[in-house]
Amino acid sequence: MKRRDFLRNSTLASTAILTPNFLKSSAIASATRLASRSGKILIVLQLSGGNDGLNTVIPFGDDLYYQNRPILGIPKNEVLRLNDHQGLHPELSPLRKLYDRGEMTIINSVGYPNPDRSHFRSMDIWQTGSPATENWSTGWIGRHLDNVGTGKPTYHALEVDDGLSLAMKGATRTGFAMSQPERLRRAVRNQRLHGLKADHTAGNPSLAYLYKTLTETTEAAGYLFEQSKVKNATAEYPKGAFGKDLKQIAELITADTATNIYYASLGGFDTHVQQRNRQQRLLAQYAQSVSALVEDLKANNLFDDVLIMTFSEFGRRLKQNASGGTDHGTANNVFLMGGKLKAAGFYNPAPDLTTLDNGDLIHQVDFRRCYATLIDDWLEGNSMAVLGQQFASLGVV
Amino acid sequence: MTDHAKTHHLYRRAGFGLAPQEWLKLREMTFKDALEDLFARTQVPAGVLKAGETPDYTRKNISPKERMELQKQERQNVALVNVNWVKRMAAQKESALLEKMCLFWHGHFACETKFSLLATKQLNTLRAHALGNFRELLLAIARDPSMIRYLNNQQNKKLSPNENFAREVMELFTLGRGNYTETDVKEAARAFTGWSSNKTGEFFFRPRLHDYGTKTFLGKTGDFDGADIIDIILEQPAAAEFICRKVYRYFVNEKVDEARVQELADAFRKDYDIGQLMRTIFSSDWFYDGENVGNRIKSPVELVAGIMRQLNVREIAPQGIIILQQALGQVLFRPPNVAGWPGGRYWIDNSTLLLRLNLAAAIFQAGEFNFELAPELEQENKRQLKRLAAVMDLEPLKQLVATSPGELPELLLAATSSPNLKLSPAPDLQALQLMSSPEYQIC
Repeated sequence: MKRRDFLRNSTLASTAILTPNFLKSSAIASATRLASRSGKILIVLQLSGGNDGLNTVIPFGDDLYYQNRPILGIPKNEVLRLNDHQGLHPELSPLRKLYDRGEMTIINSVGYPNPDRSHFRSMDIWQTGSPATENWSTGWIGRHLDNVGTGKPTYHALEVDDGLSLAMKGATRTGFAMSQPERLRRAVRNQRLHGLKADHTAGNPSLAYLYKTLTETTEAAGYLFEQSKVKNATAEYPKGAFGKDLKQIAELITADTATNIYYASLGGFDTHVQQRNRQQRLLAQYAQSVSALVEDLKANNLFDDVLIMTFSEFGRRLKQNASGGTDHGTANNVFLMGGKLKAAGFYNPAPDLTTLDNGDLIHQVDFRRCYATLIDDWLEGNSMAVLGQQFASLGVV
Repeated sequence: MTDHAKTHHLYRRAGFGLAPQEWLKLREMTFKDALEDLFARTQVPAGVLKAGETPDYTRKNISPKERMELQKQERQNVALVNVNWVKRMAAQKESALLEKMCLFWHGHFACETKFSLLATKQLNTLRAHALGNFRELLLAIARDPSMIRYLNNQQNKKLSPNENFAREVMELFTLGRGNYTETDVKEAARAFTGWSSNKTGEFFFRPRLHDYGTKTFLGKTGDFDGADIIDIILEQPAAAEFICRKVYRYFVNEKVDEARVQELADAFRKDYDIGQLMRTIFSSDWFYDGENVGNRIKSPVELVAGIMRQLNVREIAPQGIIILQQALGQVLFRPPNVAGWPGGRYWIDNSTLLLRLNLAAAIFQAGEFNFELAPELEQENKRQLKRLAAVMDLEPLKQLVATSPGELPELLLAATSSPNLKLSPAPDLQALQLMSSPEYQIC
């Protein structure tokens, strides 16, 4: 028996026994249970708090960098040089090999016009994909889900977290949030939910929607739990929640789960005070986790099917502040990683440190061009419909 | 619809549902008297909240570390204002209608506030005008220090106007898009120049920053100031329609009956009396039509306040209320943006729904009950839920079940739906079963 067939059977068997009443009476009960993946995979990694991009990809060839950061600047001899002008923070050394193998693209100075320096607002702009002058209430991935339609399972886009980010909420469809499969399964398998019957929701769309969501959640919980047990990740992930999250993603992908978009976050980058140690710790956690994920994907010949994007809501000010930290800035670098990049290395020149706006970098690449690239060139979606206007692809994937 | 069913519907929409002891009183009244009682309670002057001290972390000679400490302290102060408000929504001695109206206006005049003093002041402003005159409410909001800061009117100066407030006052607060031009926005911004606030959080007019020149706004010309702009806006037929449509969507049905909105607006624009508008809606026959009953998804704050009210939660950990708001997607004084919370299905995804369905159990469990209600929560990682430290009084619930068996489902769930549950004979378990159903999420 093939692995996939076995899985299908075992999933069916376990859900059949435990199917609550509201599932039995529901027409949509079995629509998504047999799913396995088709199409490419996108993993979005969010660095929350505003990662200091200038100390992540370091413009060591620019004297202005050291003039503005006499204490915080990373000494030239510690920088992992990628070319004669820019290099990586030493803690990013696990990513060095990806760069050298042509599996990493660095896009400098990504941002948007009229940058907002509030975490809250700027994260909203990144997550919704709106112009800075407009307030949108749906996320860019959510609107992509709206477009791909009802044929996809509810976990087509999965956030490894307790709650769902705005990025994952569409007008008619939403992504799925799960931090631990075991916990999710426990939460839906409880006595109080067991007796519910969805046979009285006709004529009440709100109630029908609640039952539909509950049904899909119960289905997904069973499926994802089974999927999470199929494969064990073999690479070594660092301790901490982020490593665990990426391990979870690796295990689901290698189990051939019918999820095409994954979303995970690492927080704590708001380094106004004593940045050096803190960012060092966070970047180490980030790089080691990503490197382990890539290793697991490669071991299963899956890295060609995967694209990983890393972003933060803004970068930080060029000039260090008086307390060993940096304050909120604007444009920042974005990383793309994958086994099948069309153009690896640096996409564009290093940030211009001579021409600043109020002490901050001026963006060169609109962040929505990154989204358009992912949606059109990778997910075979329609970026025009998602973003409301046409953004040129970066042509790198 | 029976009088009893009408009373339940009214108090679900105009308030946060009824506590068992409230219902034991109201069930003896005619519907007409129950409606009068709802409005009569708003006549009792609402206690003005006392603002706490706001630490001054704007002063210059302050170390970044000290500033962060003070900011942290101030975040906790804002959280306290937030929690006190939720407790008011749940308290039977407060006017449920007034609190619901404040919540509605907070979503309408959506505003993020980081200072507890300013949050308190804004809430007092909403409270003073929530059922009063809309012009006065709008004017008070235009002069409200939180709003002035949130929409950058501090930066609105004669020589460098900032259009943020002027734009939103028309787009989101009164008229809606398509009822004004970009020139109107620019001219209105000039009229609001110099409307500022001082350090102690009072409205402060700065004459030197005000543009006293002639403006042309929505077809009228004069040396208008902000109050004139508000008056001209309210002369537009679109203003009353916009407000009535928003009220209708919130209190009656997301699917708007335009003819009814028109009717309401025609009456409303005569004197912009909000209390009268609400009374007209709640007294109408159509408000109790089947299509307008039991189809509205409660917002997170409505849900939490409702559970607290119906279970007579006497005490609850403040941090727990904040964490619930965050996890469920509605933190008071922190709307997603100036457009407010979209509401409806937007509240629901797989994680918020499961949390909602487990919420009553968590509160029961936090209330130190010994029976094993929700074993799955025992292992829940959301430790905070267990730290809700709720103290509740279930006597009224037991009394209701004892005196009028069979009325608990009607008290807790909207009239038109029933989850077909086999209910336990124990009143507390019965309440838990009902409150753990999808039906309890709607009103």
